[in-house]
Amino acid sequence: MEIIANYGDLLLFMAVAFGLFMAWGVGANDVANAMGTSVGSGAITIKQAIIIAVIFEFSGAILAGGEVTATIRKGILDASLFADDPHLLVYGMLASLLAAGFWLMIASSLGWPVSTTHSIVGAIVGFGAVGVGVDAVAWDKVGTIAMSWIVSPILAGTIAFMLFRSLQNLIIDTENPFDNAKRYVPFYMFLVGFVISLVTIFKGLKHIGLNFDTSTSYLLAFGFGALVAIVGAWWIRGIRLDPDENRDFHFTSMERVFSVLMVITAAAMAFAHGSNDVANAIGPLAAIYGVIESGGIIGVKSILPPWVLLVGGAGIVLGLITYGHKVIATIGTGITQLTPSRGFAATLAAAATVVIASGTGLPISTTQVLVGAVLGVGFARGMAALDTRVINKIFLSWIVTLPAGALMSILFFFALKGAFVGA
Amino acid sequence: MARNDISSLFGKSPINPLQQHMKQVHLCLKEFAFFAKAASEENWEKAEVSRNSIIKKENKADELKKKLRMNLPSTFMMPFSRRDLLDLLLIQDSIANITKDLAGLMTTRKMVFPVEIAHEFLDLVTVCVNTSDAALEAINELDELLETAFSSRERKVVDAIVTRINALEHESDKMQHQIRTKLFALETTLPPVDVMFYYRAIEWLGETADAAQKVGSRLEVMLAK
Repeated sequence: MEIIANYGDLLLFMAVAFGLFMAWGVGANDVANAMGTSVGSGAITIKQAIIIAVIFEFSGAILAGGEVTATIRKGILDASLFADDPHLLVYGMLASLLAAGFWLMIASSLGWPVSTTHSIVGAIVGFGAVGVGVDAVAWDKVGTIAMSWIVSPILAGTIAFMLFRSLQNLIIDTENPFDNAKRYVPFYMFLVGFVISLVTIFKGLKHIGLNFDTSTSYLLAFGFGALVAIVGAWWIRGIRLDPDENRDFHFTSMERVFSVLMVITAAAMAFAHGSNDVANAIGPLAAIYGVIESGGIIGVKSILPPWVLLVGGAGIVLGLITYGHKVIATIGTGITQLTPSRGFAATLAAAATVVIASGTGLPISTTQVLVGAVLGVGFARGMAALDTRVINKIFLSWIVTLPAGALMSILFFFALKGAFVGA
Repeated sequence: MARNDISSLFGKSPINPLQQHMKQVHLCLKEFAFFAKAASEENWEKAEVSRNSIIKKENKADELKKKLRMNLPSTFMMPFSRRDLLDLLLIQDSIANITKDLAGLMTTRKMVFPVEIAHEFLDLVTVCVNTSDAALEAINELDELLETAFSSRERKVVDAIVTRINALEHESDKMQHQIRTKLFALETTLPPVDVMFYYRAIEWLGETADAAQKVGSRLEVMLAK
């Protein structure tokens, strides 16, 4: 108790610093996955991509990130076991942030696959099980999270497969793909707006104090979807069929219609990403704040303070500004295969999956979900060449990152414990 | 930070390199038409220029072939089987190889066909060039096929081209038969070794049309996955 009273500010400062660093890492690296597709297809410039990403990552973190933050904060560990030693929870969460941050740096510099989500979850489970006791870990919840890592890419792949098949039947494989694209694309835009806003309204908004009943929620989501569709339809109105550009490749004009849809979908992806990855990067910060704020009493029902989410948002923006443009450019040139029609199917499937996971409070890896979605399009014979070695890399990242995060957080946990006992 | 699972997911598409290769192979055979014309006029200087151009194009096709193979690990998930693709590549490549050998044979032997069949030989060259041109056209449909995810509509376009290829190949068979019949009648009046090599040249030329036909049928197998 005294430790928290005496060093509360210092501990909180450290937590903010590391939370910021984690969010920075997310912004610098992972955001590019969503935006790279739009830049690569030439739909928007890098500058525009960064502006869109900043807005939607930020709003995703704030509007829909609450459930995931809550899981990291109090879902993985049984908080009641810390009632007598609240400072242990603070050390542990701090150690987890440190571990995940260091692991992110080490693995990235070595070019190893790494996921923020996995390192944070591994770290929390690690210090909980070893530092406090095996019983401190809510194993059933951890099991659910682990299952979601397997299920989420498969779900995204299935959705992407079906979405792409519908595009094929309604638009691409028809007499006039261009006309049909203009006719049906607004409906897909509606779908993007509807799905994303529905999940957000159902699951996210209560954290900022808004509550709607079911029918109002559907109505609101419907309205938002319609708004997106109208704006989008107005935007594609001006796109004209250009016979010249279609001479070598008959689908160039059609893809231009899709590129507008792609931008809207990328915004949805940025939102989804913000709601999951940012949220789980700053979850430990929220936990530390909760303990310190209540003066060491655990279990006090405290609302997640908006500034904690703001730290996450700010970190992302910093990451995007300092590093994001470089990564977006690299990815944008690397994925020419992902034409707007493919990009749309894969990204919407991924965004929907991630937002659903966020709503359920499951911390998942956005990148892996996107990989699953692209493979789904590949199964529908929509991609020229996908390197399935990525699947091995994903398994490797599970196998390596979880114990690495755990091991490092255990070390940091005992180090912090020792340091503050001496103090 | 050298980590990105998304960009490492996308392999290099084999479609464009395959099309480039077929184009190179077709240019080889097209150049052979000039070679054959020059040879028939016994303008060996001009023929040599054409032959060098054929060799250069064949080398380029070989390079494209090697590069495509190198960039095609077995872990690739493609909308067609890797085996079919590699077979198709080999068949395409054989057109350039045969053309180069044929030009070599005709140059070293200073082969000039007897007047009775000289014109027919040049006609056969034209038909073979047209067959490979149609095969190139079919291969060039591959990017459209991919865009539509190998839909039935686009497959019909390819089917139509393949039907044309088959008709051209059939025509080349008929012409070969006519030339051989005429050559058989002339056999006794000509030096026997020359006759032997006339037969061989006609056979090799016919093989280019056969290979072009195989390109079409292998492509159809690839689509019907």
